[in-house]
Amino acid sequence: MTVSSYFQPASVPEAIALLAEHGPELLVIAGGTVAMPLVNEGISLPDKVMGLRRAGLDRMARSGDTLRIGATATLTALTAQPDAPLLAEAARRTAAWAVRNMATVGGNLFTPPPGGDVAVALLALDAQVELAGPGGVRVLPVEAFWTGFMTTALALDELVTGLIVPVREGRHAFVKLGRKAANTPAVVTVAVQATMDGDRVADARIALGAVGPHPLRSRAAEAAVAGRTLTPEVIRDAAEAAASDAEPFSDAVASAWYRRRMTAVMVGRALEQLARVTERGA
Amino acid sequence: MASVVVAFELAGRPVEVLVSPLATLQQVLRTQLGHTSVKDGCRQGACGSCTVLLDGEPVLSCLLPVADVAGRRVTTLEDLTPADGLTPVQRAFLDANGFQCGYCTPGLELVTKALLDRNPAPSREEIAEALAGNVCRCTGYTPIIAAVEAAADAMRAAVSEEAAR
Repeated sequence: MTVSSYFQPASVPEAIALLAEHGPELLVIAGGTVAMPLVNEGISLPDKVMGLRRAGLDRMARSGDTLRIGATATLTALTAQPDAPLLAEAARRTAAWAVRNMATVGGNLFTPPPGGDVAVALLALDAQVELAGPGGVRVLPVEAFWTGFMTTALALDELVTGLIVPVREGRHAFVKLGRKAANTPAVVTVAVQATMDGDRVADARIALGAVGPHPLRSRAAEAAVAGRTLTPEVIRDAAEAAASDAEPFSDAVASAWYRRRMTAVMVGRALEQLARVTERGA
Repeated sequence: MASVVVAFELAGRPVEVLVSPLATLQQVLRTQLGHTSVKDGCRQGACGSCTVLLDGEPVLSCLLPVADVAGRRVTTLEDLTPADGLTPVQRAFLDANGFQCGYCTPGLELVTKALLDRNPAPSREEIAEALAGNVCRCTGYTPIIAAVEAAADAMRAAVSEEAAR
């Protein structure tokens, strides 16, 4: 825990300049709920640390059909966000109160199991990640942000500064299975955002968490429901398709076998919810 | 490694501490300020025993660099406990056998206070949800939830008594 410097930049340009100056030696923390445990345990032994709480990155603002969420907005702030009910629900189901008061939306992209519950919802919403570096700002679909197990498209001199979330009409569902009801790592997380055409699904994005190297979309399950009414048969086919698309791993929380089985069950439950809910008011 | 000075509010009074960079609020509260109700549990943000209130909101002091609380208001159980007697929450935990070893109790009581400040009549589900981040390995939680319900009842009764005067 003896670090030589703890930087608290007061703006994004200042943070990017510090990153450029100190390079990859600089450990960047936001809420601290992922990085500080590693520092406390001596698993991570950084010489220099930069905290983003003062960098002015915690604002949320809606403009037209887009919600921009600053990277360090807390999960607690997200639970009260009326323009993104799927994100609000994912945030409510993440960790516990004191953790949500600290943990950030941007940080959730990096949370183990690779990508947290909010990240799965961001994928179902087809959100974009805003990355800022010395050369300016670039925007990537969140799906392109994860490149492998614990690897991302973030360059060493870049910071995640925000999420750009389309404000979507239609229906959504969020289902998380853990070993207990709350404050628990996911066995599998399912987030679905769908556009309806009457009783039929016009199109749906079905995102899976904790069953791959990072949150994944199940294209096969999405194809199984597109243009269809959510009958029990359609739901069963989509659930099996999602289980085939999963790339589960075994760890202390659950085996790969169980994760794949539960992927089918939880996608089934999410689609049953979707079939039951009524259209959210436009 | 240059030490840094951090100023914040503790127990309604300004405090100023000289700390190493990245010292956590928990370390500073326990070792420099004598607030040993703030426990040194898992240091992973997983047990809740180091919970404090930051501007009234529960946070985990083991994950919080003290430099980040500069200018803000920190509340621990030491601040809430009257010099003589107990808070309604402490009284309720005692009466309901809401603890055995007591290690989790300060964190649980601070989360309880934060909950009851926002919601004076929480349901059992709301209580369980609020306390989900605080691990107790003695009680099985049932007496803790009963204690929170009793504290809520007592505090509401005190408020109506006050109003009736």
